[in-house]
Amino acid sequence: MASRLGSLPPQLTSPRLLLLHRRRPNLPSFSWRRTLAPAHADRLPTSSSPGNHYMPLQVSCNAQTVVATSMSQGTPVRPTSVLVVGATGTLGRQVVRRALDEGYDVRCLVRPRPAPADFLRDWGATVVNGDLSKPETIPATLVGVHTVIDCATGRPEEPIRTVLCLLDWEGKVALIQCAKAMGIQKYLFYSIHNCDQHPEVPLMEIKRCTEKFLQDSGLNHIIIRLCGFMQGLIGQYAVPILEEKSVWGTDAPTRIAYMDTQDIARLTFIAMRNEKIDKKLLTFAGPRAWTTQEVITLCERLAGQDANVTTVPVSILKFTRQLTRFFQWTNDVADRLAFSEVLSSDTVFSTPMTETYTLLGVDQKDIVTLEKYLQDYYTNILKKLKDIKAQSKQTDIFL
Amino acid sequence: MALRHGGGIGAAACPNGLNYQKQNPQSSSNFLGLRLSSLKVHDHHIPPVAFRRFPLALAIRRSQLGGGNIIGDGDEQKKAHRNGGSNSSSAPTARDQRRVAAEEKRKGDCAKEGDAPTSSSKQQQQQQGPSVSLTLEDVNPVGLGRRSRQIFDEVWRKFSGLGQISRTPTADDRLLDAVLIRGPMCEFTIPGAQDTTVLVVGATSRIGRIVVRKLMLRGYKVKALVRKADPEVLDTLPRSVAIAVGDVGEPSTLKAAVEGCNKIIYCATARSAITGDLNRVDYQGVRNVTKAFQDYNNQLARLRAGKSSKSKLVLAKFKSAESLKGWEVRRGTYFQDVVAAKYDGGMDAKFEYTESGDAVFSGYVFTRGGYVELSKKLALPLGSTLDRYDGLLLSVGGNGRSYVLILEAGPLADTSQSKMYFARMTTKVGFCRVRVPFSSFRPVKPDDPPLDPFLVHTLTIRFEPRRQKPVEGPGGNRQDPRSFKLIMEYIKALPTGQETDFILVSCTGSGIERSRREQVLKAKKAGEDSLRRSGLGYTIIRPGPLQEEPGGQRALIFDQGNRISQGISCADVADICVKALHDSTARNKSFDVCYEYVAEQGKELFELVAHLPDKANNYLTPALSVLEKNT
Repeated sequence: MASRLGSLPPQLTSPRLLLLHRRRPNLPSFSWRRTLAPAHADRLPTSSSPGNHYMPLQVSCNAQTVVATSMSQGTPVRPTSVLVVGATGTLGRQVVRRALDEGYDVRCLVRPRPAPADFLRDWGATVVNGDLSKPETIPATLVGVHTVIDCATGRPEEPIRTVLCLLDWEGKVALIQCAKAMGIQKYLFYSIHNCDQHPEVPLMEIKRCTEKFLQDSGLNHIIIRLCGFMQGLIGQYAVPILEEKSVWGTDAPTRIAYMDTQDIARLTFIAMRNEKIDKKLLTFAGPRAWTTQEVITLCERLAGQDANVTTVPVSILKFTRQLTRFFQWTNDVADRLAFSEVLSSDTVFSTPMTETYTLLGVDQKDIVTLEKYLQDYYTNILKKLKDIKAQSKQTDIFL
Repeated sequence: MALRHGGGIGAAACPNGLNYQKQNPQSSSNFLGLRLSSLKVHDHHIPPVAFRRFPLALAIRRSQLGGGNIIGDGDEQKKAHRNGGSNSSSAPTARDQRRVAAEEKRKGDCAKEGDAPTSSSKQQQQQQGPSVSLTLEDVNPVGLGRRSRQIFDEVWRKFSGLGQISRTPTADDRLLDAVLIRGPMCEFTIPGAQDTTVLVVGATSRIGRIVVRKLMLRGYKVKALVRKADPEVLDTLPRSVAIAVGDVGEPSTLKAAVEGCNKIIYCATARSAITGDLNRVDYQGVRNVTKAFQDYNNQLARLRAGKSSKSKLVLAKFKSAESLKGWEVRRGTYFQDVVAAKYDGGMDAKFEYTESGDAVFSGYVFTRGGYVELSKKLALPLGSTLDRYDGLLLSVGGNGRSYVLILEAGPLADTSQSKMYFARMTTKVGFCRVRVPFSSFRPVKPDDPPLDPFLVHTLTIRFEPRRQKPVEGPGGNRQDPRSFKLIMEYIKALPTGQETDFILVSCTGSGIERSRREQVLKAKKAGEDSLRRSGLGYTIIRPGPLQEEPGGQRALIFDQGNRISQGISCADVADICVKALHDSTARNKSFDVCYEYVAEQGKELFELVAHLPDKANNYLTPALSVLEKNT
């Protein structure tokens, strides 16, 4: 376990674990270091408490190791060929659909798995198998690709210190380096809003480091920071309220400007084709920021049902996180609850979009609001979902 | 929660079980798996021996169920049901009620039991009985652990979900996916798409490839016509596309391909500019596919005994001498000046059934301003009115004159109120089929309202020698344009349709190298003509030079008459194809489309009405509604 952890950016490990490391003299060298030049490593600001001794993550791209191939020779790649990484995810699949509909030739990088993502193939995308944690599988997937759209992110239930880091940090580093080396023309990366303000949340810290790495790599890139997906609310609140199941919420004052992933995909492609936006950082936020309580109230109103809400005070979440941080074996749990720090910090996950709209030439009216989205959901899905449920109830009797 | 659903079902089957469940919906005993069987302690009606046996039997029964210790609501219910059922055979309902009360009491005692070992020995003995069954079944550590873990997991999942940014889809979400991705919540979904099968001819072409994807995204059933079912060809198509192997040049192979299709999108083009290739794909190919499709439609129509919406209405069929009855030949002149007419050569016309089996309307008009006409009062079959039809289809032969079709419309009772509507119809030398849509009829008096096909009662075919192009005769000698011969085969009314049946992607000719342009255009034109004549609802799209770039970026110009200058992306053409499928304004139209011409700064000449393609707006309808129909 310890040697495994040694290969991780130390910032991502908790201070307690770092102490553990320091006691061991023969630590393996950090593997990610080898690929990064220490020459112009800038110390990134760490907003941690003074008691913690973080080793700053050194992010820079070494021009010697990564040399872009000369693009003058060989057949030019078609500008319509894109590679979507993380195509099976909530956002990824919308990006794939949008790309296909706009006439792109879409290639999807998916991990080899027993149940393949058939829906991507059904829509007409090409599916290639590759694993970001195995860098040797990456170059082949990038052949003939003009633009890489990176929607991959770690899943919260995966062990954060191993899989999440392997995928989200080392995998990304390998992918970006590979893209640079193979002369990919544009690299589009989805990040999280405010990710530079919360270094204690591993996922956000990884995103921040990846952003930094991408900016230093010299690749032509666009970084898009996102706030929240409306699609996530459906499963979290809309359906449980409809089914009179218990809903868990916090009393956190944090507001998140949820956005429809279809809109995100649409804006993404507008931004991708706009050369003025190259090497820029955009933030996409929904029209309005909502607290959890507001979302639940909205769902209740639209469903015409009172929700069975279990409100967990943020202080409990925070306390649990502090408690679980205390032991090594519960550190994973602590990391999972890391977002509670963000929740309690009274931040607003939103940003004024007027400038972005004008930059992209998009009308604000075309962006779906959460009210409209949930209204649509309840009017459209109510019947269908009830039908399905009724059927499944029927079969339960005879089980 | 879910338990409640189960409770509802159990209630109908067994009131006893319900009582129990209702009183303790989520009691701790229920959670730990202590069930009714353990609670018959205070039931004095049953002797201890019998009592001891009962739970054992119950235990066996449970193991027969194979239930193990699965925590399922339905399972729980059934066990409760079984308990109630097996008891009620020997005990009355009153006892059950007492048992419930006893159970309540016992629950209260539970806490005491640990520190109060001074209970009566008899009672202890009795308690031992059921507790044996408990250890056998319910206190199974594996089951208990599993159950408690499931509950803990659920709570933990929800709890930790609060502290996370992103979530992982669970099994429940997969069902949602089906709703969100394929259901009405998806921006691509088109109502009725699931019931529509579209045959894409040329599915591997630049446009076809995108068309197939767009159709799949919108939930259509897609059939793709490929020449060979090669693996590398099939790999380029989505997997759930039905593959039909066939060649547009081979009519026999198309029969199976069009079967079950509602609409066809034809985006195949010849691979080379060799005349043979062009002829095969761009002309004969279109012809063969339309023919196969019409045959299939006719077959369907025949199955429904001509009552299908696809069947044409026969207005007149000239198969025998009797069929000429009712047709009346008339002469007339536009000039009232009789004196002038005196010096003209006169005119004559006859309509007769020849020995070769043709109904021939022939004659000459040498009089200036004179005309001859053939007219009949239409006798429609009962129950059919012309307003359900789109136009007239005439199958005629002859020497290629142009005629005027005149429809008289008005109330049948008072023919003096009838209004006249006319449309010009040109024929070709030899046999041809002419479509004359009702929409092309114009009132003779400009003030009259437009034609209402419902009121049409008389059909007239008029020949007038004015403005006739001199036609080269077979021998090269010029025929007199004032004589005519029209061989009539049939006149039918074309069924109307809301939507287009056949979308043909043609080309405008710009962007093709000059030396081959003539050949290409000739073949394309022939293909278009054969489609127009086929009787299918058609849409002919003539895009400018195709460009391989993503669609939806630039405004489009829709135009008729070969005036466009710009290119267009394949994706935009594909989008127009897919949009036109369900657009009534696209039916029976041919149009050119290209990007909006972006003038250099300061050199703009005209303000153009452009239509920006997008999912959100329906740009096609307003763009096409201003264009001419039946072109």
